[in-house]
Amino acid sequence: MSDRQQLMKQITEISFVIDDLVLYLDTHPLDTDALDQVTQAMAQRKELLGAYAKDFEPLTRCCIRPDTNNASGQHTKYAGQKHWTWTDGPLPWEGGM
Amino acid sequence: MWTYEKRLQYPVNIKNACPKTASLIISQFGGPDGEMAASMRYLSQRYTMPCREVGGLLTDIGTEELAHLELICSIIFQLTKNLTPEQAKTAGFDAYYVDHTTGLWPTAAAGVPFNACEFQSKGDAITDLYEDLAAEQKARTTYDNLIRVIPDPDVREPLQFLRAREVVHFQRFGEALEKVKESLDAKNFYYFNPEFDKKFVT
Repeated sequence: MSDRQQLMKQITEISFVIDDLVLYLDTHPLDTDALDQVTQAMAQRKELLGAYAKDFEPLTRCCIRPDTNNASGQHTKYAGQKHWTWTDGPLPWEGGM
Repeated sequence: MWTYEKRLQYPVNIKNACPKTASLIISQFGGPDGEMAASMRYLSQRYTMPCREVGGLLTDIGTEELAHLELICSIIFQLTKNLTPEQAKTAGFDAYYVDHTTGLWPTAAAGVPFNACEFQSKGDAITDLYEDLAAEQKARTTYDNLIRVIPDPDVREPLQFLRAREVVHFQRFGEALEKVKESLDAKNFYYFNPEFDKKFVT
């Protein structure tokens, strides 16, 4: 598994933890264990999304950084070339990543 | 307001094209118990929901259903990628191919196009939440039916994920129904419409 795939797998997993906890907390808003879990998971997700955007491309608008995304230089002539990074990388439905 | 996140909720990496399988799975895109109907149902019902937490839950589940719609479409897209004309003639996909080539269009497996009549937004919290509970079970049965006849593990895995989410949503809607009932007269939950006769909700 490539670094890209490995990082994407971690993002998928932690994001799913949050998806499930969000619905649970909608109907159990005072569950302190779940509140701690979701807080921790959201911090972890933020870090992973940042790492993915830095090396590859942003997955969310919040991660778009034309100056610093794409450190691996996969999407430009040279690493770190300033450009609109939101359109970098594969589309989610393409598969085979 | 929504913003897009450039990834799938569950990975879809299908190695072997199979238009026949795509023609069955398309029902969960535009069919009677599909993800489009699910998303539109919850996102339509939420505005008049008298209980704010339940309106929030409908928003969150309706949003997740959009991610499921994308998963289903990704499966169909990959199952019909780079088809030869010979493959396009596969029984079950040939009629769709004539009208849409391999473009994605919401329809039921039996050929009925997507229609807002697949879901209801009745303007009554109890009625709508029972509709939602039933909808999750109908979608779960559809996934059961698909998983039973589809052997490819690349296709089965995301379908099993989606099936499991129907069960979770059913659980959450059950809790939402209890929450709505808490604010109604326990002697007769059906005496008033909690959405229209708002003054009777405590």
